[in-house]
Amino acid sequence: MSRVSDSAIVNVSGVSRYFKRGSERVSVLDDLNLQVPEGQFLALMGPSGSGKTTLLNLIAGLDTPNEGEIWVGEQCVSSMSEAQLARWRNEHVGFVFQFYHLLPVLSAYENVELPLLLMPLNAKARKKQVMTALELVGLEDRNSHLPSQLSGGQQQRVGIARAIVTDPTLIVADEPTGDLDAKSAHEILDLLGTLQRALNKTILMVTHDPRAARRADRIQYLDKGRLVDTPDEELYEGARP
Amino acid sequence: MKFFLLIIRNLRRNLVRSMLTGAGVMVLVFVITLIWSILGFLDEATSTKTSNFKGIVTEKWSIPSQMPFSYASTLEEGAAREAGDVKPIDSMTWQFFIGSIDKTNIGFSTFVFSFCMEPRKLLTMMDELDSLAPGPRGELDQAIKAMEQNRQGIIVGQKRLAALGKRIGDRIKIFGLNYRDLELECEIVGTFPAGRYDNNSCINRDYLNASLDAFKASTGKAHPLAEKSLNLVWVKVPDSKAFDKMSDQITKSPMFSTPAVKIETASSGVSNFLAAYKDLLGILRWILAPSIIVTLAVVISNSISISVRERRKEMAVLKVLGFRPGQIVILVLGGAVLFGVVAGSISSIGTYFFVNRFLGGIPFPIAFFSSFPILDSALWWGAAIGFVTAFAGSIMPALSTRSIKVADVFSKVA
Repeated sequence: MSRVSDSAIVNVSGVSRYFKRGSERVSVLDDLNLQVPEGQFLALMGPSGSGKTTLLNLIAGLDTPNEGEIWVGEQCVSSMSEAQLARWRNEHVGFVFQFYHLLPVLSAYENVELPLLLMPLNAKARKKQVMTALELVGLEDRNSHLPSQLSGGQQQRVGIARAIVTDPTLIVADEPTGDLDAKSAHEILDLLGTLQRALNKTILMVTHDPRAARRADRIQYLDKGRLVDTPDEELYEGARP
Repeated sequence: MKFFLLIIRNLRRNLVRSMLTGAGVMVLVFVITLIWSILGFLDEATSTKTSNFKGIVTEKWSIPSQMPFSYASTLEEGAAREAGDVKPIDSMTWQFFIGSIDKTNIGFSTFVFSFCMEPRKLLTMMDELDSLAPGPRGELDQAIKAMEQNRQGIIVGQKRLAALGKRIGDRIKIFGLNYRDLELECEIVGTFPAGRYDNNSCINRDYLNASLDAFKASTGKAHPLAEKSLNLVWVKVPDSKAFDKMSDQITKSPMFSTPAVKIETASSGVSNFLAAYKDLLGILRWILAPSIIVTLAVVISNSISISVRERRKEMAVLKVLGFRPGQIVILVLGGAVLFGVVAGSISSIGTYFFVNRFLGGIPFPIAFFSSFPILDSALWWGAAIGFVTAFAGSIMPALSTRSIKVADVFSKVA
C-alpha cells in the first residue's frame, strides 16, 4: 500500500462504508476520495445522514472502512488493529466533541491530563504539558475547577486543551459549537483558528452552522455519502468563505 | 498509580450509591464473619489434635452420662494398673450442678450452671483458661486459691454475675434443679476472664460431694444422684498412640462394668454434643453462608452494572482518547475490587474489635459454648470476601465495556 498523495496529510482513497440491516445493505459512504493538506482547516458540511460523522470517524480511526484506504501522515489507519488504533489516536489525534464529554469527577487539569496518562511521561512532564495546553485556551487559572463549575464555553475550551495536550497531528471536531451560545461559539472558533495558524494544526470540523464553516480554509459538502461540489444553496446559504 | 487515582475518583461519582452499596457489603460481611467465626470455632473444637489432645470418659449407654464418683480416681489415672500402662498427662472431673438462687422464681436472672471440679484444674485443663495471658491468669489464680482455702467458694462468669445482680464477696444459696433438695451455700470469690465462660460458674467438687454426704446424714438416705454424680472425666494424653492404649485400658477394665464407660477424643465428644445442632449448623454452613456470598456478589454486580451503563459514553470517550479496552476493563474491575476490599475489611476488622472487645464474643449458646469469639483470621476474611465477590460481581459488567463502540460518541450528530 502507498499514500495516494504525498502533499496531503490526510488521504482518503476510494472509501466505502456500509452497514447491514437484515439482508439490506445501507451505504453511508460510497467510493469517497478526499485529501487534506497539512495545516488546513477543513469544514465538512451536509444534511443529516449524509455521512459527515462517519467520514470523521474513519479518518480519526474510530471506525474502519469496508473498502478503500485512509492514510494520515505516513500511516495507513484503515489497516490498523484496534490496539494499534488506540495508541495511534492517543498520539496523533485530538478530539473535540459537541457536548465536551469531560469526566465530571475530574478537575479541568485532570481532564486535560487524561490522554497523557497513557504516555511514558513523569508527573513533572505531564504537568508542564497540561499547563501549556490550559494557557493556550486561557484557562490556566481554572485548572482545579470541576466541569460543573465551568460554563459551556469554558468546558469546550477544556475539551480543546485535552485535544491538543498530546500535540497531535490532526484535530477532529464534531460540531464543536453546536451546544454553545453565539459568543462562546465565536470564541471557540477563534481558538481553533489560532491553533491552526500558530501551531500549524490540521483541523477537520463537522458542522451544520454556516457561520462556523466560514471560519475554515475550505468547505467540503457531503450528500448521500459522496462529496459534492455544489451544495443546496438554501441550506448552506452564506457558508462559503 | 495514575489509574488508581482515576478509580478513586470514579467511586466518588455517586456518593449515595457508593455508600449504600458499601453499607450492604459491610452488613453482609458482618453476618458472614459471625457465621464463619461460629463454624470455625466449632470446627477447631471438633478437629482432632495430633498432640496433647484430650479424651472424654463418659457413661457408655446413657445420656446424660451419670457415673458413680468412685470411678473418678481410677479414671484420672487412665485406669492404669500394670507396668507399661499409659497414664494421662493431666485430668479433671466434671460434675454438673444446675440450680437457681431463688427457689420459687427460676429464670435468667437466678439461673446458675456450675462445673464442680478441682479448682486447680481450671488453669491446666480448661480450654482457653489454660492459655491465658499473665494478667488474667494471675487474677484467676487468686480466685482459685480462695476456692482451695474455702471450698464453698464459687467463681462466676462476668455476664452471669451481672445477671444475678451479685458482686465478688457476696454469698449466694443455690437451690439444686438437677440435684433436687440439695442446697449449696457459696461465696463468690472471683470471675472468669471475659469470653467463653461468661455464663458459667465453677464450684469446688469437694463441696458438692460433702453436701451429698451431709444430705444422707441429715435425711437418713442417700441423695438419688449420689451414685450418679460424676458426669465427665477429661484426660490429656501426649499423642494418638497413647490415647489408643489408654482407651484399651479403660474399656477393658473390670472396674467399669456397671455402668460401662467409653472414652472418645474431645473433638469426637464435642461432635456428639453438637449432633443435636447438626441441621442448624448445616444450614449455616451450606445454605446461609453461600447465599450471603452470592447476594453480596449480586449487590456489587447490580451497582457496577448501573455504573457501567451510566458511563458508557464516558468509557467511549476514554477509548477515543486512546485507552485500550483492557484498560477500561481494569478501571471498572479495579474500582469494584477496591470498593469490595475496603468495605469488607472495614466490616470484618470492625466486627473483630467490636465483638471481641465490647461484647466478649458472639452470644450464641450452643452445647457447652455460651459465646464465640471472632477468630483472628476474620481480620483478612473481609478483604478476601470483598475481593472475590467484587471480582465475581463485576467481571461481566466490566467485560461488557469491551463492546462499547467509540463511534457511538459521535453518532448523535451524524
